[in-house]
Amino acid sequence: MTAPTDRDLIERSFAPRGAASGDAFGELVSRYQTSVFNVCYRLLHESGEAEDLAQETFMRAYDRLHTFDLEREFGPWIRRIAANLCLNYLEARKATAPLDEERDADESSRPEKQIEVKERSAQIRAALLSLPPQYRVVVELRHYQELSYDEIAQELNLPLSDVKSHLFRARKLLAEQLHASD
Amino acid sequence: MHLTDDQLNEYLDNETTERSPIEAHLASCDECAARYSALKTLFAEIESLPDLALSSNLAARFTPTLNLNPQLPRWLTLTATLQTVLALIAIAFTAPSISRFLAPILQAYPMPSLNTVALDLQINFAMWTETVRSFQLPALPSGILTLPHGFSTLTLSVSVLGIFFIWILGNWWLLRKRPNSLA
Repeated sequence: MTAPTDRDLIERSFAPRGAASGDAFGELVSRYQTSVFNVCYRLLHESGEAEDLAQETFMRAYDRLHTFDLEREFGPWIRRIAANLCLNYLEARKATAPLDEERDADESSRPEKQIEVKERSAQIRAALLSLPPQYRVVVELRHYQELSYDEIAQELNLPLSDVKSHLFRARKLLAEQLHASD
Repeated sequence: MHLTDDQLNEYLDNETTERSPIEAHLASCDECAARYSALKTLFAEIESLPDLALSSNLAARFTPTLNLNPQLPRWLTLTATLQTVLALIAIAFTAPSISRFLAPILQAYPMPSLNTVALDLQINFAMWTETVRSFQLPALPSGILTLPHGFSTLTLSVSVLGIFFIWILGNWWLLRKRPNSLA
């Protein structure tokens, strides 16, 4: 028996609230929780907050599931909800938090290599953390969610020129930060 | 003339249609080629961030919240509907016998006619409206409460009503149901 597709699970989740719809949506959460958590973590850099926001993302998605277009893919949709939620959260918070210790999903490589990768990852995360929230979200949507300039403008309700200037300035700042730490 | 930062960024993002002139320039200009290479390295570095593992299973946290109001099994719902229908049929069949059984008891306690009940209601309603119409708050002794100049009792009443509504809205806002919110 093949595993149900995302579309099957979404259709089952439409059923009146109960065990069956909860289980179907729970399966969707299991499938996408790591990627949604990582969107939140890249933007917030604090694992507790990222987990809370990831959970909030799924709660929002469940409430808005009736608006989801079944012809589209669920993963990009929920990751964009997460990015928007984090942006709102960051703008409300307007403060930075200390970086967490890295807990990589892949822990199988050599210890020296792991340390090197962790150090560089920490530098990149620190550089991302230094960006203003709007820049950080544009980088997230472009580099990790692979949205086009037009899609980012639509998603964030920004003019195309602002998307470009945010993205290019963000890259410039990141390059300066990373070269300074080399 | 060198390539601008915007041109390089748009080229690497595949967001420009003028690729050939940019490629031709990169092939002939070492400075722009070096800037292009540095930007490409930056892209690779940004995208090299590893995914982190979650410390807990969100699905486990999430599913019980949705199951707070589990649905009754379908067979039980159908049984309850069938029982209701049967009970209504039984009442319809037994109503004549029950009324014959209750007739002597009801005769011992004469019931007022519908006209009497309607008349009583009308009298009570008229008395109530008269009481409300003629109601007056007791007058305060002069000098105890003096409203500021230009501040009428109507303004006072509207203000008190406004404060009451704000209080109700405030309570609603504080006690509204928030599903597992971060706030």
